[in-house]
Parts: sequence; C-alpha cells; structure tokens
Amino acid sequence: MSLLAVRNMTRRFGGLLAVSDVSFSVYKGEIFGLIGPNGAGKTTLFNLITGLTPPSSGDLEYKNRYITRLKPHQIAELGIARTFQNIRLFGNLTALENVLVSQHVHTRSGVLSGVIGTPGARREERQARWQAMELLEMVKLSDRAHVPALSFSYGDQRRLEIARALALQPELLLLDEPSAGMNANEKTTLTGFIREIRDRFGLTVVLIEHHVPMVMNLCDRIAVLNFGQLIALGEPAAVQNDSAVIEAYLGEQ
Amino acid sequence: MNLTAGFQIIVNGMATGGVYAIFALGYTLVFSILGIINFAHSAVFTLGAYFTYALLGSQFGFNGLLARGRLPFGLSFPLALLGGAILAGLVAVMVERLAFRPLRKRGADPLLMLVSSLGVAVAIVNIIQYLFGAEPYTFPNILGGLPGSVNLGTPGTPLVARTVQLLIAGVSLVILALLTVYINYTNTGKALRAVAEDATTASLLGINTDRLVLLTFFLSGFIGGIAGTLVGLSVGITGPYFGIAFGLKGLSVIILGGLGSIPGAVLGGIVIGIGENLVPAEHVGYKDAVAFALLFIVLLVRPQGLLGRTQIQKV
Repeated sequence: MSLLAVRNMTRRFGGLLAVSDVSFSVYKGEIFGLIGPNGAGKTTLFNLITGLTPPSSGDLEYKNRYITRLKPHQIAELGIARTFQNIRLFGNLTALENVLVSQHVHTRSGVLSGVIGTPGARREERQARWQAMELLEMVKLSDRAHVPALSFSYGDQRRLEIARALALQPELLLLDEPSAGMNANEKTTLTGFIREIRDRFGLTVVLIEHHVPMVMNLCDRIAVLNFGQLIALGEPAAVQNDSAVIEAYLGEQ
Repeated sequence: MNLTAGFQIIVNGMATGGVYAIFALGYTLVFSILGIINFAHSAVFTLGAYFTYALLGSQFGFNGLLARGRLPFGLSFPLALLGGAILAGLVAVMVERLAFRPLRKRGADPLLMLVSSLGVAVAIVNIIQYLFGAEPYTFPNILGGLPGSVNLGTPGTPLVARTVQLLIAGVSLVILALLTVYINYTNTGKALRAVAEDATTASLLGINTDRLVLLTFFLSGFIGGIAGTLVGLSVGITGPYFGIAFGLKGLSVIILGGLGSIPGAVLGGIVIGIGENLVPAEHVGYKDAVAFALLFIVLLVRPQGLLGRTQIQKV
C-alpha cells in the first residue's frame, strides 16, 4: 500500500529547475533511498514533502489525503517527521527538552491548565517525560538528558535529532544524510539502528544518503535523482546496474 | 546614609526596577521570537494604564471624545489591573496582525517591521489623545483603608516604605516569577523557546508558529499593560505620551541586560532601578542621566550587555 505518493512534483527557483516532474510512491513499512549527485534536488524534495517549500506544480498524497498545500506544522501533525543534513537542534534547550518539544503536539493540556498544573495536565506531563526519557535511553543519551544540546558531540547530536523526530510519533520518517560525518563503524551501527526503529515503531523511512554501500544494504527500493529529474527507480541491484545512473555518477563513457 | 534612607532606596529601587524589568520583558519576548524591537510596546504600556483607570470606574478628563464620562461600573483594583492587562494584551495581538504579520508573510526586511511598529505607536498615541484628551490623569486611591506608608522596622529603628511602592514591587515580582515558571517549565514555554531558536524546525515538529507569535504578543502586551498601570499608580498618567520616555528607558534596560535575554532584562531593570534611586532627592533631575550613564559604561566594558551572549555563528 502506498503511504506517500509524489505526483509530478516540480519546483523552480528562478530559472533553475530544482525538482522536475518527479513521481514515485513510498510503500508502507519500506526503507526507501533517495540518492543522486550533489544539487540533484534531494533536499528540495524533502522540503516539498514537509511543506517548507511550496511546489511550483504537482501533488502530494499521504495516506490517501492531499497534503500539497498544508503548512509544515499540519504535515508534522499528520505524522511526517524529518531530520536535517546540517543538524538543527535547539542548542539552548536540554536534550530532554528537545524531545519534549516535539511531543507538544500530542499533549492536550492548554495554555492555562499547564500553568495551573491541573491533575490531568500533570499526568500528561509525567507521561510525556517518561516517553521522552525512553527515547533518549534508546539513543543512549539518557544519562545526559539535562545537558544543553549544543554541548553534545556531532554523533550524539545526530542521534538526538532522530530521537526528537521519533517523539513526534511519526509514521513516515525522512532522514537527510543521517550518516554524514560518521566513520565506517558508526555507519554500520546506524544501519542497524534505522532497521531497529523501523521495526519497533512500524515506521516507513525515506533517507537521503551518499554512502552507497549503506544504501544498497539498507534500502528496499531506491530512487535516483539527477538535475532534478528522476532517472531510475527500483530495487538496489537493478538501480546499481542502470546505465543512466552509472552515467550520472561517473560521467559519459 | 542612615538605615531608613538605605532601606527606602532598596524598596524604591526594587519597585522601579521591577516595573522596568516587566516592561522590558515585553520587548524581550517579541525580540527573541521575531528578532525585532516592537516600538508599539510603549504605546500599549500607555493604553494599559488608561484601561485600568477606566475599569476602576474613574471619571475621564475634560478633553477628548470621552470627556467627563465614566464606565457604568467600577472594578476593584486587582480586577481592573487584570482587565487592563488583558485588554492591553489584545491590543498587542491586533498590532501583530496589522503591523507585523502582513510584512512577515511577504518576507520583508525586519527593518520595515520596526518602522511599521513605530507607525502603530504614533497612531495609538493619537487615538488615546482623541479619546482621553492630553491632560494628565491621577489614579484614585486604590489602597482603600490601608495606610499610605508602613513601618517594617521597629519604632526605634524605623524602616518606612510607601505602601504603593511595596505593592508595585510585589506585583512586579509575582509577574516575574509567573513568567519564569511559564517559560521554563510549561509545554507552551518550551515551544516558545524552541520557536525563538529556530522557527522553521519548530514548525516541522508540529508547532504552530503563527499561534505562538500571537501568544507572545499577547504576553508582551499583558505585562506591558501591567507595567503601565503600576507606573501610573506611582507617578500618575502624564498624558498620551506617557509611554514614550518610558519606552526609551525600557530599551536601555534590555540593552544593558543583554538583548533577547530574559534574566538580562530582569537584571538590567533592577540595576537601573536601584541606580536611579541612589540619586539624592535634591538632584532628582539627574535620574535619567544615571540610567543612561550606566548603560554607556556597561556597553564600553561588555558590548553584549550584562547577561548577553556573544553571537555564535553557525557554519
């Protein structure tokens, strides 16, 4: 079943066609890779899906519902979470607070009951904290829950960003170059971790990734973008031998 | 300097400083979310004082559209203070809708929002003059049967303070405490801090940033209105331009404390408040000079303000 359908997505920036008539579907439960050379339009596509950038034309369908014109916070509420290529944590907030911020959506207590501390609000707050700590535990950061995020190492910040995205309780998780800046060992661990969260939370994952072995090993299907156009789509082995893909990466022979 | 005089300097300093602090926090809240100074804040401050005055059921002046009128009811002071603050908060929300949001949506330069907020300030001041006239207003005695001053010491070593000053200091401290708890320990407070750091990322985590901007303006107007009432209680409402001079003082408070820093605004307010009250009564005309001299000296030594952070540029 298709969870997300991208239909004829096009985005122009002035004279540049950043994304050009791209269509594909992401099926529920799969790990879907988005690869392509630098400037191919991968991050722009993420920005289109999350509502940060409005499309020039084209449609987005998520769980059989058009989400093309929704605002970012509405799309997030529907269960699409993402991380960033250049990590964007709230540096002055603690690790725990970073995670709690995205649980904001799922806590019901209003502006006033939160201040007064009604029993319902307090119960909700306790539960949110407990869940947040569990997520931090999972990414092995629970011992530093009260440390501001900016003092974390690069790898820790990446994991915290994933924990924060998971706190949104998403069904679709978009990871923008999750392995950037990691060594081979960390990349292997990350591969296992992505599988683990997919299974544990019943997620569908779309990831942008440059590290080819990781993509081939991890992804069920792969889409290849080049100059904003979709040039190949399919299982890793098929994509790997596609002549258009080889040309895009290695140049014409 | 004897003990009583010293004590009075501290009480008056805390009262003045507390009001400066909550007033300046109105600037700080908006600045930390939108990165701009909202010049309409001083006009909302003025309005707050007029609103509370009206809600107390007091008679309006002899000029202006509402001359000699009064509301058909009069509220007790705590309710009038709260009502005035809520109305001031709603005006601040209108200011956001009219002067800020349209520009924000078009991605305008922040400088333009600064100018449009200045325009709104001028408009509000003129509306006040049109409605209430240009004359000064004096608040009725809101203390009821309470004495005008209290002795907190013993008859032998008197520590006398004006009741109004104690009230002002008390209300300011309560507001500061509530705001601190609200911003640091509630979900909405966390969301506010997240939006202040990175509104785009906050929106991707499901936070409705437009709603939080409105809330911020409401809070800013609310505390601005309370500050207006408190200053009005202390020195009276000097006229529609009441807030303008105070607005300048508020700006020096946030710059002294560190732009965008909440503890900074509080510290800046208290430092300037106590500094001003150290000026002996016979040289009272130099009060403002002291405030701005303090600002000048601090900026020489710490250009980022007392608690301001030096900007760390992310690469």
